[in-house]
Amino acid sequence: MQPPADTDLVSTVCLPFLQAAQNQDGGWGFHPGFSSRVEATCWALLALIGLESSNERQQEGFRFLRSTQLPDGSWPSSAEQNVGCWATSLATWALLRDAQSQTAVSAGLRWICEDWPRGTNFLARVMRVLRRGNQATSQDDTLRGWGWTPNTASWVEPTAFALITLDQAPKELLPSGATRRFQYARALLYDRMCPGGGWNCGNPMVYGVPGDPLVEPTAWALLALRDEPNRRENVMSLEWLEKNVSGMLGAGSLALGKICLETFGKRWPANAPDLKQLYARNEFLGNVPVMAWTCLALNARSVWLGAAERQSDA
Amino acid sequence: MHRAEPALIPAFQRPASHVAIRRAESYEQDLFELIYETLRELQKREENERVGAAIKAVGTSAGLSDIRGKTVLLKPNFVGFDPLGVMNTHPLVVAAARESFLKLGAAQVLIGDGPALDRDTEAVVESVRLREYVGPLRGTFTDLNVDEVERVPLRTRASRLKELYLPKTVLGADFVVSMPKLKTHHWAGVTLSLKNMFGIVPGGCYGWPKNVLHWAGIDKCILDINAALRPDFAIVDGINGMEGNGPIQGIPKKGNVLVFGNDPVAVDATCCRIMGLLPERIKYLVGAGTLLGHLNADKIEQLGESIVSVRTRFAVLKEFDKIKEPTTERN
Repeated sequence: MQPPADTDLVSTVCLPFLQAAQNQDGGWGFHPGFSSRVEATCWALLALIGLESSNERQQEGFRFLRSTQLPDGSWPSSAEQNVGCWATSLATWALLRDAQSQTAVSAGLRWICEDWPRGTNFLARVMRVLRRGNQATSQDDTLRGWGWTPNTASWVEPTAFALITLDQAPKELLPSGATRRFQYARALLYDRMCPGGGWNCGNPMVYGVPGDPLVEPTAWALLALRDEPNRRENVMSLEWLEKNVSGMLGAGSLALGKICLETFGKRWPANAPDLKQLYARNEFLGNVPVMAWTCLALNARSVWLGAAERQSDA
Repeated sequence: MHRAEPALIPAFQRPASHVAIRRAESYEQDLFELIYETLRELQKREENERVGAAIKAVGTSAGLSDIRGKTVLLKPNFVGFDPLGVMNTHPLVVAAARESFLKLGAAQVLIGDGPALDRDTEAVVESVRLREYVGPLRGTFTDLNVDEVERVPLRTRASRLKELYLPKTVLGADFVVSMPKLKTHHWAGVTLSLKNMFGIVPGGCYGWPKNVLHWAGIDKCILDINAALRPDFAIVDGINGMEGNGPIQGIPKKGNVLVFGNDPVAVDATCCRIMGLLPERIKYLVGAGTLLGHLNADKIEQLGESIVSVRTRFAVLKEFDKIKEPTTERN
């Protein structure tokens, strides 16, 4: 297959793919024809908002998100589930772009600020101090971010998603505890950085062995911490990312790596693979979030990481 | 859910299980012939023993003897980005198993996994070089992390979990083959065909890692997952294994074996014995031995090589010293 030019990849492949993959209920599944899922819908919407003028397709997507919000303000990963999760940050982030969704956004922000990870209560911290020296992992458990699902530990990516969302929300919508959550979570990300820079899912050391960083968590952590570009940890992590970009084998990593490096004003290394080559290989495995991240990586107009500009009805 | 639920049968009512150990010293040798011939041998044995409702009694929803026309799902252990080929099931073993099941008459053989720590499944699978050996991935490989899901109530209460959302590709397969790598594990002691089933729990519902399983208890969740969806067959890639701080950061260790069987508990117990470990001291295997298969060596008929002839002692973290078989000068 002859790969399309990089600049054409969005207009000839990714955009038509995302447009065609939207379900009747307004949402997107992880693959075309699959049941709508909150996370896939959020990424598709964020990509489309940067590519198209406000339109009915996007409004249907926003309506899907509003309809799947749980009474406590959170979002589950799929509509059949009744427990909120990390998708709450993503849905709130996407709905920040919609003027009709202020109530849903406020409830989402409230849930984010009230959702504390597990393992950090006073008793757990005392137990940890008592067991010091006999611990499998090396990290400061007094710090708190967000987990993937309720009542689990803090991890890098959900923490980064929540931080980006809180950062983008208008100040007047932020609950009173937001500043404290913000500070704890940023400290947690720095604490969980791998020893040589970069992040993995959140285990920088296990049994005294340094963890290997991965591209996606590194990109998300750096994007969440992008207002401190000269801080030592971020400089080290960007260096790790630049060094490892040429070895990226997955389109999702490549797209997020590109977004991250360009956000920090870094040039895309000449020896790095490009997204059109990876598309020709596996067609991104038909993965909706990867298509969306590719749009966000290649679309210069995209303002998805900036302060939210809200859309009115199409 | 299309699959029949596995029968939960007390060990004393369960007929003996067969486990085949084959010596295989290199991925370059003819693995297809070795795997196909072993599957044929086990298939013939199963056909000979299959009388009336006996197959139901061993608790499989499908057997090798009725594989013709069926959809087979191979579930390798693709745990992470691994260009050096240290931590994942080798693609040549997966490709040879795929060809073998097709030759046995399977209508289609799918491959699927949901890496627990790395969300970029395409990168993981490309690092394994699976595409080189099985052709284009779209249509053949399913990222179980982002598959369609279905709610599955759990039948056992080992953990506090009452239900899990599981991938439809797994639930819809007629015959599921767990294909782990022979490894020790820093939380569970060993990771073999039962622990490998963690990979079917979708990250798209539970995150990366699937931390809810850790909080509910790894050992307990292994039991609940396998009681809900017990693999019909296991093929363990022990040609190159991993010892110590597995499943990712351990040290490569040659095992020089492939281990096969339709009872994943018996296969895992046999692998432990090959590694010089005591399955009776591994919590989740003890639990699995009560209802899911045989742990007791007396109830496992060994085919092919003997355990002693292929035994290669694997190191474990000091937290797991208690699972090591006592060594003597003779063994």
